[in-house]
Amino acid sequence: MLSCLTLFSCIEDQDFNQFDEIGVTPTIEASILYVEAPESLVNASTQTNVINQEFNFDAFSSDVFSKRVLDGTITYIVENTTESELSVSIELLDLDGNVLDTVIIPVAPAPMEMQQIDIAYGNSGRSIDIIKNTSSIRVEATNVSGTQSTSTLAEPKVILKSSGKFRLEIIQ
Amino acid sequence: MRASKILSIVLFWTCFAMFGQNKQLLYDFVEIPQSAMINPGVDTDFQWYAGVPLLSGMSLQAGSSGLSVNDIFANDGLDINDKIRDRAIYGMNARDELSGTFQIELLNFGFRGKNPDNFYTGGMYIEGDAIGYWFQDYAILAFDGNADKLNQPFDLGHLKTRGEMMNVFHIGLNKKIDNELTIGVRGKIYSSIFDFNSTKNQGTFITKEGVNNIYSSTIEADMQLRTSGLNGLKDASDDGTLGSTITKRAFFGGNLGVGVDLGFTYQLSDQLVFTGSLLDLGFIYHSKDIKNYTLNGKATIEGIEIILPDAAADPNADFWQDLVDDVEGFVPFEDNADSYIAFRPTKLYSSLRYNFGEHVDNRANCACGVNASSNRARAKYVNSVGGQLYVINRPRGPQVALTGFYQRRFGNFMSIKTTYTIDKFSYSNVGLGLSLQAGPVNIYAMADNLLSYGNLADSNYASFQLGLNIISWGKK
Repeated sequence: MLSCLTLFSCIEDQDFNQFDEIGVTPTIEASILYVEAPESLVNASTQTNVINQEFNFDAFSSDVFSKRVLDGTITYIVENTTESELSVSIELLDLDGNVLDTVIIPVAPAPMEMQQIDIAYGNSGRSIDIIKNTSSIRVEATNVSGTQSTSTLAEPKVILKSSGKFRLEIIQ
Repeated sequence: MRASKILSIVLFWTCFAMFGQNKQLLYDFVEIPQSAMINPGVDTDFQWYAGVPLLSGMSLQAGSSGLSVNDIFANDGLDINDKIRDRAIYGMNARDELSGTFQIELLNFGFRGKNPDNFYTGGMYIEGDAIGYWFQDYAILAFDGNADKLNQPFDLGHLKTRGEMMNVFHIGLNKKIDNELTIGVRGKIYSSIFDFNSTKNQGTFITKEGVNNIYSSTIEADMQLRTSGLNGLKDASDDGTLGSTITKRAFFGGNLGVGVDLGFTYQLSDQLVFTGSLLDLGFIYHSKDIKNYTLNGKATIEGIEIILPDAAADPNADFWQDLVDDVEGFVPFEDNADSYIAFRPTKLYSSLRYNFGEHVDNRANCACGVNASSNRARAKYVNSVGGQLYVINRPRGPQVALTGFYQRRFGNFMSIKTTYTIDKFSYSNVGLGLSLQAGPVNIYAMADNLLSYGNLADSNYASFQLGLNIISWGKK
């Protein structure tokens, strides 16, 4: 009975070669780095460098990410409520400390508009290999005005926010 | 086309070979001894029967409540990724399932006792059972990611699955209480081969606007996967001893459990019959070869957070590693070997049958007749019509199926039963069962969802059962 049913059954045309065309490419986003420096640090700097620090960041270079990332964007947002004019530099470094990419953000003294910069990688943006090889991030903030900040705002500070939005290739 | 058809058939009968458990065609099909397996209180008139080992009962059921092969692989010119997105990722929901069972009888026999009102059954069969609900939010996360889905929680509870394989030893008593009532009970010992279950998961993953940074990502999980026997089978496979390991476990060498089946048949009138059964009311205690995994806790991250000047105090600080350690600390992924109890998926059957038409002579070795006052086995009618109810306990709650049936007997030689069933798999499930009796030899075959055979690839559900028995009614 089963054999008869199977033999006399019908199947509409199926194309199992479509399996090769399945692509799973989710886009993920999350915060990357948050740096906060109070006005007192800006004023305490004997030299013009307010911040000059390197942070290990292995998320990009880990295999689970670097072998799958296709393209994406890093968003930087800087907020400054001090009265000093600053220049913020973000460098992406590889495992050996070589600079792969540099982003410079000029920051006006308060009151300022929130400064946002989006840097694209892959496709028509910068090389995605920069992201794949990034192992650490160096942040440098320079007091361009060279003056002491005497802000009347509550808790004046300079803040760097950042997030990443990347498209990954899970199946292709 | 030929290759496609072959592949479709293979997919249909093997890959999807585990869905549904309803045996609506076999239920109360009293001409077939295996009907006692789903109602130990069936109204039976056999003197004895013996199933042909390995051939007496074989059933395989397959189905998917939300998707068919045709939905994805039809040669319709549409982009397969669009079809997956529209019909699977967003077209199904967390209650859709891919589930099923198979049973192969190794031994099945029955005989009437010295007291002719008592009929004893026994045997053993291998059973596999599995269910996986559509893990929708995981699929959305994997297919689309979390980008541009601010404040949308992904439900980690969408991972809900269980499966098991075991050998079942059973012995039962079917007792005719009086002319109206027959009851039955069957005791079972389950000898587990493997088991896995992950059915009580809770939690969410959500991306929100951050308090400090741009985004915050929060995971709150209370998840568990319990397994028994899988590691041993993997080792046995590596060692080339898989067969002997499975055999050993199937014969009391693994984890054991107990269960019971109950059933009855009640003659409301000469022509009206009410039946019911409760199957696999039992559990297996898993204490050997256990490997359980847990993910439990809550963590919210906003990337690496550097608050100066305090953060600069330790020049060797590795903020990235601290972040990873924090997440692993707050939401630890752990394993253990704790024993656990797994309850069997209990099933409930019930039916109301109306018999009519001419009588069919009863083969039982008794002075039987429709109007006999103390007959052990009633004469059958040519026609039966009625309805059946089926309920199975599943991880997301009971599943129900309703069946209407018509049965026609052609003397004592042949009986045909046709059913129409509504359940979550299909609203157009028409089935056909056939029992042939050639002397002492009984052959039966049943198939489900026949309308889907017009395009097998578009079917959401199918099942078949077949078997071979030797039956005696004790007449000279």
